[in-house]
Amino acid sequence: MAGSPDINQFKELARRYGLAAVPESVSRLTQLVARQDSCVDEIVRVIEKDPTLSARLLRVANPRAADESEYTVGTVNEALMRNGIGCALLLAMGTPLSAALIKTFQTMLSLKLEPVDTHQLDSLVGAHMRCSIGFAGKVTGHVFLRMSFTTAKAIAAGILGLEPAEVTDKDEIRDAAGELLNIMTGNFKSNLCDAGLDCKLQPPKVGMTEDFETPVEPGGGLERLAFRAGPIEIFVDVTANPWDD
Amino acid sequence: MATKILSVDDSRTIRLIVGKAFRPYNVTVLEAANGEEGLAIAAREKPDLVILDVTMPVMDGVTMLAKLKEDPELKAIPVIMLTAESGRDNVLQIARLGVRDYLVKPFKEDQLLEKVGRCVTLEKRPVVAPA
Repeated sequence: MAGSPDINQFKELARRYGLAAVPESVSRLTQLVARQDSCVDEIVRVIEKDPTLSARLLRVANPRAADESEYTVGTVNEALMRNGIGCALLLAMGTPLSAALIKTFQTMLSLKLEPVDTHQLDSLVGAHMRCSIGFAGKVTGHVFLRMSFTTAKAIAAGILGLEPAEVTDKDEIRDAAGELLNIMTGNFKSNLCDAGLDCKLQPPKVGMTEDFETPVEPGGGLERLAFRAGPIEIFVDVTANPWDD
Repeated sequence: MATKILSVDDSRTIRLIVGKAFRPYNVTVLEAANGEEGLAIAAREKPDLVILDVTMPVMDGVTMLAKLKEDPELKAIPVIMLTAESGRDNVLQIARLGVRDYLVKPFKEDQLLEKVGRCVTLEKRPVVAPA
């Protein structure tokens, strides 16, 4: 079946410019969640076809479990029934964020960043850098990027092609961390907008905090993702708020 | 005469990366932190190429691109978008306004050089032997 002229034109432009597409399962999941009237069975089928999405959903549905043996929610269907469709939206949002973070490390720092279970990393104790960006529109929430100041300095140095000792300007370190978040959220926003969940990004905020907890609105959801590359450890929190309409 | 490239991005990090990429070449990199500054520099300096971000404070990249294309003196300057946003509506809107190319962040230096090299001449700076 032929697509609409806009979709065909976009495909042609994406090919010409070399734009990467999000995985089909994620795109489909975002579209289903965006419709809001989709039946849960349809969403379950899409998630179950993708082992990574299924594993992440079960992790979100079992926030206190240290590993799979402690899961009390064991199936995708049960996870969605207990946690609501917002949970599926978090999965759809986390995938492009995670992919963009890994790609940024590979492309700009030549580092292989691996997603790890959050329990495998120590919590960030004491003051650490927190970059946040809000998104508002048909879906609202926040993305937080957390790392130690030493990690932020190593990232700034890597991106700028310098040695960490050469990066002494705190503004430069903050700007690099903020740009890392911008790159991640740009990809993520594109996925949401393409699925019909139009939203705008708010200006990023970068600062130091001692608070490792991320607030969640009643009825909203949070997914914490963790990544490691040698001594570099990064946490990404995604929150999505419930919508009214 | 050096090729003039205008880098418009609110991130100092990206402007530094762009500046560093062209250091081996006979290129003067001009910098602006938003579309309004970018337009003023473009009108004054008439760069050979603009590398333009989308999301910026004061004036975003799409507005700057539209204004460049409305200006008879500036509309022929080739523009390469350098942005993290590759959503369908954004790409279609930008393509309709008229851009030479589109590079999605994160990017490698050689991808940037390749796309820029298709629009303007990049001559290596002569290597100066140490005294």
